[in-house]
Order: sequence, then C-alpha cells, then structure tokens
Amino acid sequence: MAEALLSLRINGESVHAAAPAHWTLLEVLRYRLDLIGSKQGCDKGDCGACTVQVDGEPVLACLTLACAAAGREVRTVEGLGWSPEASNGCHPLQDAFDRWDAAQCGFCTPGILMSAEALLRKVGRVVTRDEVREALAGNLCRCTGYTKIIDAVVDASEMLAAPRDET
Amino acid sequence: MPEQPGPEEDVGPVDGQVEAPVDGPVDGEAPESEPEPVRWQLGKSHRKVDAMERMRGITRYTDDIKLPGLLHCKILRSPHPHANILSIDVSRALAMPGVHAVLTGEDLPVPYGVIPWTPDETALACGKVCYVGDGVAAVAAIDEDTAIAACEAIDVEYEPLPAYYDPEEALAGDHKINPYAKRGNLSKDVVLEFGDVEASLEQADVVVEGEYYFEGTTHGAIEPHCAVAQVEPNGLLTVWSATQVSHYLHRELAKVLRRPAHTIRVIQPPLGGAFGGKSEPFDLEFCVALLAIRTQRPVKCLYTREEVFYSHRGRHPMRMRYKTGFRQDGTITGVSARTFIDGGAYSSFGLVTTYYSGQLLCAPYAFPAYRFHSTRAYTNKPACGPKRGHGSVQPRFAIEVQLDKAAVELGLDPIELRRRNDIGPDGMTVNEFKIGSNGFLECLARVEAASDWGRRATLPYGRGLGIAGSTYISGTNYPIYPNEMPQAAVQVCLDRSGRARVFSGANDIGQGSNTMLAVIVAQELGLELDDIRVLSADSDLCPVDLGAYSSRITLMVGGACLDAAQKLRRKVRAAVAKRWELPARRVTLIDRKAMDLEDPSRSVSIVEAFQWAEADHGLLGEVGNYNTPKDRHGSYRGGTIGASPAYSFTAHVAEVEVDPDTGVVEVKHIWVAHDCGTALSRRIVEGQMEGSAYMGFGEALMERHDVDPGHNGVHIGPSLLDYRMPTFLDTPELHALIVEAPDAQGPYGAKEAGEGPLHPSIPAIANAIYDAVGVRLDSLPFAPPRVLTAIDDRLALEHAGELPTFKLGRGRAGLASARAAGGVA
Amino acid sequence: MLRLPQFGVALPSNVDAVVALLRDNPGARIVAGGTDILPNLKHRLDEPGMLISLAQVSELRSIAKLAHEGREVVEIGAGNTLTRVSEDPLVRELFPSLATAAGLVASPLIRNMGTLGGNVNLDTRCRYVNQTKFWREALGGGCLKSEGNVCFVVPGGRNCVAAMSSDCVPVLISLGAEIVLAGPEGQRVVPAAKYFKADGLRHTVRDDAELTTKLRVPVPTTPRRSAYAKWTVRKSIDFPLVSVALRFDLKSDSVDAPVTELVVVAGVLGAKPRVIAKLDDVIGKPLSDPALSRIVCAAVGKQCKPLENVPYEAPYRRRMFEVFTRRAIAELVAAG
Ligand SMILES: Cc1cc2nc3c(=O)[nH]c(=O)nc-3n(C[C@H](O)[C@H](O)[C@H](O)COP(=O)(O)OP(=O)(O)OC[C@H]3O[C@@H](n4cnc5c(N)ncnc54)[C@H](O)[C@@H]3O)c2cc1C
Ligand code: SF4
Ligand code: FES
Ligand code: FES
Repeated sequence: MAEALLSLRINGESVHAAAPAHWTLLEVLRYRLDLIGSKQGCDKGDCGACTVQVDGEPVLACLTLACAAAGREVRTVEGLGWSPEASNGCHPLQDAFDRWDAAQCGFCTPGILMSAEALLRKVGRVVTRDEVREALAGNLCRCTGYTKIIDAVVDASEMLAAPRDET
Repeated sequence: MPEQPGPEEDVGPVDGQVEAPVDGPVDGEAPESEPEPVRWQLGKSHRKVDAMERMRGITRYTDDIKLPGLLHCKILRSPHPHANILSIDVSRALAMPGVHAVLTGEDLPVPYGVIPWTPDETALACGKVCYVGDGVAAVAAIDEDTAIAACEAIDVEYEPLPAYYDPEEALAGDHKINPYAKRGNLSKDVVLEFGDVEASLEQADVVVEGEYYFEGTTHGAIEPHCAVAQVEPNGLLTVWSATQVSHYLHRELAKVLRRPAHTIRVIQPPLGGAFGGKSEPFDLEFCVALLAIRTQRPVKCLYTREEVFYSHRGRHPMRMRYKTGFRQDGTITGVSARTFIDGGAYSSFGLVTTYYSGQLLCAPYAFPAYRFHSTRAYTNKPACGPKRGHGSVQPRFAIEVQLDKAAVELGLDPIELRRRNDIGPDGMTVNEFKIGSNGFLECLARVEAASDWGRRATLPYGRGLGIAGSTYISGTNYPIYPNEMPQAAVQVCLDRSGRARVFSGANDIGQGSNTMLAVIVAQELGLELDDIRVLSADSDLCPVDLGAYSSRITLMVGGACLDAAQKLRRKVRAAVAKRWELPARRVTLIDRKAMDLEDPSRSVSIVEAFQWAEADHGLLGEVGNYNTPKDRHGSYRGGTIGASPAYSFTAHVAEVEVDPDTGVVEVKHIWVAHDCGTALSRRIVEGQMEGSAYMGFGEALMERHDVDPGHNGVHIGPSLLDYRMPTFLDTPELHALIVEAPDAQGPYGAKEAGEGPLHPSIPAIANAIYDAVGVRLDSLPFAPPRVLTAIDDRLALEHAGELPTFKLGRGRAGLASARAAGGVA
Repeated sequence: MLRLPQFGVALPSNVDAVVALLRDNPGARIVAGGTDILPNLKHRLDEPGMLISLAQVSELRSIAKLAHEGREVVEIGAGNTLTRVSEDPLVRELFPSLATAAGLVASPLIRNMGTLGGNVNLDTRCRYVNQTKFWREALGGGCLKSEGNVCFVVPGGRNCVAAMSSDCVPVLISLGAEIVLAGPEGQRVVPAAKYFKADGLRHTVRDDAELTTKLRVPVPTTPRRSAYAKWTVRKSIDFPLVSVALRFDLKSDSVDAPVTELVVVAGVLGAKPRVIAKLDDVIGKPLSDPALSRIVCAAVGKQCKPLENVPYEAPYRRRMFEVFTRRAIAELVAAG
C-alpha cells in the first residue's frame, strides 16, 4: 500500500507523517500521530466524536481525507490546553466542564469541546442555551442528557466574557 | 403449568452466612459513639478525579492503547439469521500475506455464559449460526484492511434454516435455535403468585386490562467495544477490554481458554459509556486472547458501530398483558401479569431478566395480591440482555399506564392515586422483599410542585402533563455465581506525604464510581479529592469486584470503602489523640488537618497526623469489605432474585406538546425526583438522573432496535444514523430534584442513582400524551405515524358520538371542524 | 473502523486541472466535502481508483451578484459550504428559502464540510442500499444499485427508485436555478429542473467527466414569498423524510396580492424531484386566499407518492407532504 508523506499543521505546529492516501484525518491523528483525543464512535458522520477544527471550523475528522487537510490549520482537543485563553494547561471550557461534571464517560467530550470552542469564538459574548443547542447539534452524548454540557458552555462563555466586560 | 424449579434458583449461598468482618476497636479503645460527622466532602459537588484528563484528550481508552507489533483482528459474521455451517475453509485467508492466524468455532469450543447456569454461547459459532451478525471466524493480520480481505477469503458453506423473529412463534416452532438450549426455544419460564389474585380482582371495583408492547432498544454508548490482548514470555496473558464486568470476563476467559485464572490479567481501561451493553464477555475478547497466544503478538479488535448493534444485549422486547384491580378509593387490590420476552439468540442475563420482569414491580405501590408469568424465548436476533433498568423498565411502563387508566376511570388525580398506594418505608413487599428507607412520597411531592401540576386542569388540547413512579434495586443480594466471599472489597493506603490510594476492582464506566470512592476516603480522612489516587479494575492490582451492574457500586463498593477508610480514620485519630492526650472522640479529620473538635484552634496538618499514625501502626493500609444482609429476600424458590439491600425511588412528571395534525410529540420538560438515599456527590447524582431521563425519553419517542422479518432478519438500521438517539435539539429540559431518604444499608445512607431514574420516563410521557390528546399509546415507540393513527381513531369515535370530545372547549374548535369536514387536518 | 477502499487522491488547484484529471482518469470521482461520498465508499457502493479533491479549488468558493444575459443572477460557487450558503447575506436576502434549506441539512458539523455542489450531486438514498456491504450481503446480495439485480422497494422493478434526498435541490428548482457544468467540451448550463432523471443509479444528467462549477440563481424580478419545509424525526443530523420547496411571485409586495407565478417542488419521493403540476388555477389568487392553500395542498397530496425507500411509512409521509405544505403557506401568510 503506497504511503504518501503528509505535511500537516496541527495545533499550530508543522507535523509530518506517512500514511496511505485513503486514510482519514482521524486515522492519521489517532494511529500515526498518537493524538488520541479525537474519538471514533461511528466513523461515518453520525456522532461527532471525531470533531476537530480545520481553519477554525469544527468538522468531522472521520470524513476528512488526511491529504485534503494539508495546508490548513488543524486543531484538536490536545491543542486547547495551550491556546491563548488557557491557564495551567486548561482551557476555560475544560475547566467549566470539570466543574459542572459535564463529562461522564468523556468519550464525546473532546468533540463537543471543539464544537463549543468554535461557537464561543464566533459569538464572542455570553451564549444562550439555545445557541449552545444549535451549535452542538451534530455531537451526540449518550451519558449526560446534555443538561450539564449546556450549563458548562454557558458558564465558560461567561468566564471568557468577564475580563472583556471589565475593560 | 409452573415449571419444576431448576437448580439455578439456588443463587444464594446455601448455608453459613458470611458476615462482613467486624472491625475491632483500635488499641483496645471502645468503639466511639460520636456526633454526626461533619459533612466535609459529603454531598458537595466535586470535580471528578479523572475527568480533566478525559477533557484534555489524554486518557487512554482501550482503542488508544499502542503496543509494538500490534496485530488487528476482524471477525467474519454470519449473513444468515439461522443456518447450519456445513464447512469452513480458511486456507485462502491463511495464505494471504500479512495474515498471522485464523480462528474458527472449533478453536474455542467451550460454551460460556455470564449466568453460570445458562452457558449457551461459544466465542465463535460451532456448527450453526443463530442470527445475522453471529461470529463465525476471526483473523489476525498486520492491519485492518488485510484482516477484512482475509475474512472475505474465508469460504463458509451454510445450510439455511427457518428463522423465528417472534417469541410466541419460536416457542411453537419445530427448529431449535440455540444448540445448547435444554427446552426447545424456551429460554426461561417463571410463574410466581403471592396472595389470591383471582379473588383480589373479583373484589375490585374497577379492573383495568391492557396489553402493552415494548420494542427493543439498545445502549448506544458512544465508544464501540474494543479489546486488546498480549502474552508475556512467562505466559501471562493480559486482556484490556472495554468491559463493565472485568471479573466475569476474567472467569469466562479462564474457562474458555482452559487456563488458570492466575495466568490471566484483565484490565479495564477508562470506558466510553456502557449502560449494560458491556456487562458480559463478547466474542472479541476471546478472539484477541487466543490470537495473541497463537501469534505471540499483541492483537486488537475494535468493533465497527454495526458490530456493536449485533453484540447488542439491550432491552428485551416484551409483550405484556396486565390486569389490575382497584377499589373506588384508588387502592390496588391485585395485579396479574402475563409477559412474553423476546430473548434473541442467547441467554445472556435472560434468566435474571425473566425474574426481574415480575419481581421488581412490587414497590413503590403495595400490591395485596400479585401473580406474574413471564416466558422468555429464543429468537433469531441479536441477543438481548441488561440495559439500564434491567428487566423492569418494560413492566414499569405497563403498570404505570395501568395506574393512569385507573385514575381516569375513577376520577382521581393520578398523583393522589399513587400516594394512596404508597408502600412506605421499612415494610415488606408482597413478594417478601424487605424495604428500608423510602422517599417516594417526597418524590411525588417534589415533581408535583416543580411542574406546577395544578395547571394540568387547564392545559389546552395538545398539551399535557403525565406522572409515573418507580423503584429500583441498589445491587442484588446475591452475586451471579454462588460464593461466600464478600460482595465488595476495597483496599486503602495512606502515604506519609498526605496522600491516599484506593485499590478497587470496581468498573468506572463514566458514572463516576472512582470519584465516589475518593469522596468517601476524603470525607473520612480529611483530604481533598486531589490527594487521592484511585486505581481500579485491574485484576493484578486491585481486589476483585463483581462489576458495574444492578446499580451495586455505590452501596456495596462504597460500603467496603467506607469500612476501610473508617479503620484508617480510627488509627489516625488515635495517634493524634495519644499525642494531644485527648479522647479520640475529640479528634476530627477535616480540611487536610487533624483538629480538636472542642478547640478548633488546635490542629496539626494531616501529613503530620499520618506520620504519627504510621509511627504507631506501621504502614497505613486497610482493607474494607461489604456483604449483603441475607434476610431481605423471599423464602420461596427464586425469592433471592431481585432482592436488594436497599431500594431507590423515583417520580417523573413529563410535559408534552402533541401536534394533532402530524402526531409529532415534543417533550418539553421532564422533572425527575429521585430518592438516592444520600447524595454523596450532588452533581454526579444529578448527572445520572438527567442521563437516565434522557435515555428513557429516547426510547419513548424514537429508538428502535429490531430486525426485518421480511428481509432475512437483517437489522433495521445498525448505525447511529438509523438508530436515532436524541440530539441536543431534541432533548427536553431535564430538571433533577434530589430526594434523600438515607438507608441504613448504604454508606452514609446512600442508595443508587444510575438506573432507577430512567424507569418513569417512558410511562410519564405516555400518560402526558393521554393528558394532551386523549389517546393511549400502549406500544413503543410513540412515533408520529402511530400517534397520528391513535388521534384519528379517537376523533372518529368522537365524531360518531361514541366518545366524548376530549378537552372540549380547550383549543379544540379548529381541529375538530377540520377533521370532521373530512380533510386530513 | 469502517474502512475506506484504497484509492489515490489528486488535489488539483483549479477547475481546468479538475477537468483534465477527470478526462484522463475514467472512473475517478470528485470529492468535495466528502460527507456523502466517503460514507458511501465506506459502504463499498463504489470503488474508484482515484478521488479528485476540490479542497484546493478556491475559484469554486465565490458568491456574487452579476448581470448575465440581460438579467440579474447570483452565482454561487459549487465549493461553498452549506454553512456559508445559509449565512451569506446575499443569499439570505434574495433567496431565503435556499438559506433555510442549506441551514437544515444534517448537522452544523456536516454543513461546515458539505458543499452546495455536493448537495446538488448527492447520491440517491435507500434503506436497502445505504448500509455496509455485509448488511447488503445478508439482505440477499444487494440490489440494482449495489451488487444485486433486484429491487426491494418495488419488487420486480427494473428501475431503481432510490430517493433524491438533498434539501437544497427542491429549493434550487423552485427558484429557477441553473447548474453550470465544466467538462472536456467546455461549459454547459442545465436548468436545475432538467438536471435530474428518474433513475436511482444515475439520477443526474451530469457526465462523469464533468463537474458542477456553480449554481446560477436568477434574482427575483417581482415581489416574492418562498419557503422550504422539511420533516425528520430528529431536529438535527437526519436526512429529510418529507421535503417541499415553495415559491410564489406576487403582483405587489403583499400576501394579499395576486400570485403571478408559482413553483412547488417535492423531494424524497423517487430519484427525481417532483415539480407539482396543474397549479394554473392558483394564478391570480392572493397568496392569503384559503382556496389557494387548498388547491396547492390537494395537488401536492395527489402528485406526491412517497415510496418505502426511506424510513417511516409511505402513507404517513404522503399525508405529511400535504400538512407541511399547508403549514408553510400559512406561515408565509402569517409573516405578511
Ligand atoms: C449523517 C449525515 C446526515 C446528512 N443529512 C443530510 C440532510 O439532512 N440533507 C442533505 O441534503 N444531505 C445530508 N447529508 C448528505 C451530505 O452531507 C450533503 O448532501 C452534502 O451537501 C454533500 O456535500 P459534500 O460536499 O460533502 O459532497 P461529497 O460527498 O464530496 O460529494 C457528493 C457527491 O457529489 C459529487 N460532487 C461533489 N461536488 C461536485 C461537483 N462540484 N461537481 C460534480 N460532482 C460533485 C461527488 O462526486 C459525490 O458523488 C448527510 C450526510 C451525513 C453523513
Ligand atoms: S430503490 Fe430498489 S434498486 Fe434502488 S437502492 Fe432501493 S432497493 Fe436498491
Ligand atoms: S466518528 Fe466521526 S462522526 Fe462519528
Ligand atoms: S459523556 Fe459519555 S457520551 Fe458524552
């Protein structure tokens, strides 16, 4: 099986990996680069567990060909910890999810965090519960009934907005 | 005719009850009687001990394990619902480059089953296949693509047999599905009667009769099943598996692989959800184990989502006929139930399911007389098993709708009717189970108030409120295999740096059991949760635990942990008391300090306190045990099955909007009040309640796990696209209302919270639909076409004057005229 | 995992290069967002040797209003994501029903990936085909559209009736859009209404060597009301089970003004979207006239015959086509 050398930008860094042309971004992340934070729940677009960001937009890594991601900025859950908003290696969303117990098994969580982060960045203010529902409607969670996730995302948006409001 | 009781009913220990070891007083001191301990950690909301690493994406779930030389396993599955295997030729597959080994049924011929009395499965099919998706052969290859190609190169010759998709047809059929079954296609039959049911129904003022159908549903954990195996040169086999019952997996691996258990290590990595779907061994675990042995290389098998649907073990479809007698005042006189259970191809937990379908119904309402007859049959479908609320979610649907029908007939408020039948605390059910604490009345009161139930009387046509209640077990009094060892054991060690480690066999499946253990240790030893490391579910490092099922962990493992932690607490307090020359009763451990209760200015850091204790007692380690009380079950055959140390109670109110033109039901709110005894960690309890209500809601409205009898028994949609699990946009507002009625059996009074809160979801929604549009949905799911047909039928009867106009004058005008005019809507 | 078949991937950077690659590699397939073709390939409904990715063809991503052959049109590049189409100010202002439809496709994640070109060329769908190869084998060896030679929806049928399941297609037809194709022979323009055929195996007139470059949508020349109605079980992720696009051109900017032209298009029936015929009686009636709604709904109910090719009973869906049409009109009237 012919493998091609991929040059990717992942979490702000240039990364190279050899992988067959028919591999998805999810496979390359998980099985070549050991970035295991992105999960696989269905492998065909139905669950959102594999959500990563490409050029800032949340997309499904299981339906993205790795080679088509070349030249674009890929961001995974691992990169949230060293984003500018993070402190102590932890993004305000991760902190809010932790406080709200918004992750039960945590398998859906990385994907949900990537969708939620894009929402907060896009909206740039405190989000409403309905905005959260709309933005996360492609991410399934089987454990939480979503309630605590919505709580946590709204809370994180307040945390992010607070310093802005003060200035 | 009731069957002759089989040996399997003797699931309790025969004689000689096991007592939890009594912990002796420390240093000859009398056990302290002391004031209620300060709630230092108890009942707070906590950050979970292992959530942050999951959030950061660094937790290694099973599929994240990387080992050098890892081979990939794929399992070839049967495309036939029922067929004899005439021959299997693996030679072409074996000859392929990159293929390391191929297994067929004959390589793993030992039958197993999670219930020791019904070993009716083999890892791979031996001689015949019993459903579409049954495992036939397994390949280990250099990568998944090669393994798949090798599977396609295996030549299997089948002789198709007639297939059965309906339990009653299967029972009447000539072809036996499961080769190990002893009684044709009968998997289990249970008849139990308590009191004189016929007389009780005759004495009733009103008898409500109903037939209910609960379609199958599955767990839908987002993480697919996965297992990895590796053998060390000394022969030690390690199996990592996404399982919720490491210990039963360990036992069955030993049995099927015919090697002693001490040569096998089972590790459960962090789990991506289970809900009962990972509570028994599956083909992949045996296959990777044997393939690792054969190839001397690590081997992994990851199910595709489709395979997860085939492995199933989800909620049994049940056809239930109920007769319930009521007096004019709404009290129940008697209940009679006849239930057919569709088991699928294997027993799984089916023996227990069959009992649970009747045994778990006898609270929260007092039944003066009760009879149930439940029959489980084999069918050519993926095997059913335990899903959250094992065995009792289906009959709960039936009985709660029965109560609602009675309330209508008797002109009573359905909450009031439930109150009048409340069994109360410290009583005995009609089937002789002893109930301890019972917060059911408070649950009813809480949902009544929170939902503003009074507005029900004036809600317009199309909107409605519905109520339902339930009870569930907090663990079972007897383990799956009879033994006299404790039901749970935990080991806790303290470190002189001020940390604690907890070793527990319990499986944290996302429900937060590791955090629960840390809360108990932190509470007892004055620590923060950050000071505690919980090591769980590794058979080499941790004491045996029976697993995450039957909602047993908080009560049992928590109880064992409390036992160990209290022993350590005693040692630490004694060491401090000795140095301060105080009675130990005055020393408390709180806020990372040991403190004089009467003079809080006097304190010492917990680090020093631990060091004093280590100086006095040597290394600080204790084991704790929990065993169930053996006096809480019925004294009849089968009377142990379903008996629990303590029972949780739940009530739901659901608010729905039914669109009479489309039949679409929107659930707006579910208020969930749940008596969990004592909430050890509030947010975790709320999360369990919300997750449960969500899961029930999905089952009620949209989830369908079934096969297509018209098309060779193929699954109707084995994917997360076709199996519709509610999204963020579909899910109602869920309101968790914690009720606490502490039970003497649980640690600090804690009972379960993980399964009970699911039960009333479905009937509460059904009852709300009735309240909205006056139609009864006695079959699941409440899909729009079904709801619309029911509405049509009612309107036709109203139009013909055979039924009164439902909610006349309350938003009916437009609808009635449009439909009556013959238009579709 | 659910494996993709092996293929090579080409990453051309402009339309000409795509056309050349298509010409030189018969059997190659275009992948845009990949949200339709990759699941289908994972299900082994095709095994192309090469995928030609549009990921780097930036010229397919413009949206612009311009004059074309004496009329105003908006050209929407086929490579725009559905998110972009649903949020674009020009689209929202001029073609609100298109913005609605694009915003109702699948889930936010899929709309961030899926393109309008992919949505227009979305393969037809059927409960008996959009499953794994193993599943189809268990079914009895597939059907006309996969490995077999029978149809499970129309037993004995020789023609595949898999459902055209795109949300945007009915709307584009209702708006009189044209589909611009580039191929070895140069550019070709096909009206959206003529783009689709009643053949589930090949339901568009696009040649394998052609690609869709843009959608050309005429700017309304009269006041207009338009709507798109979709029913699915879940409020996200699911493909449409009932799908109707409506467009009413009005004499003046009021729902009480007479309708001068109308187009009603239904999807998720067979392979071809259905343009509802015999609506002439409606011309001249005010949109707010209850008689208009009755006539349109009756025509929809009569002409839309859903099949058992997608989940949920066909008779139910047939009735819902009518209900959803009635409601869409009522909402337009209510909005004024
Ligand atoms: C879970 C799930 C739910 C979905 N729900 C919906 C839904 O509700 N409604 C809906 O409409 N769709 C739905 N889809 C299908 C799909 O996501 C969308 O139709 C999307 O718009 C397809 O666009 P794409 O760019 O991803 O297409 P691709 O998958 O890249 O391509 C689709 C097809 O079009 C061809 N193609 C793509 N671009 C061009 C071009 N420029 N010229 C010629 N041919 C081209 C490809 O060769 C392929 O045959 C769903 C998909 C998934 C996985
Ligand atoms: S309509 Fe018939 S031929 Fe077409 S995909 Fe469905 S079953 Fe196959
Ligand atoms: S794994 Fe990508 S959507 Fe499920
Ligand atoms: S936390 Fe388990 S799936 Fe979301």
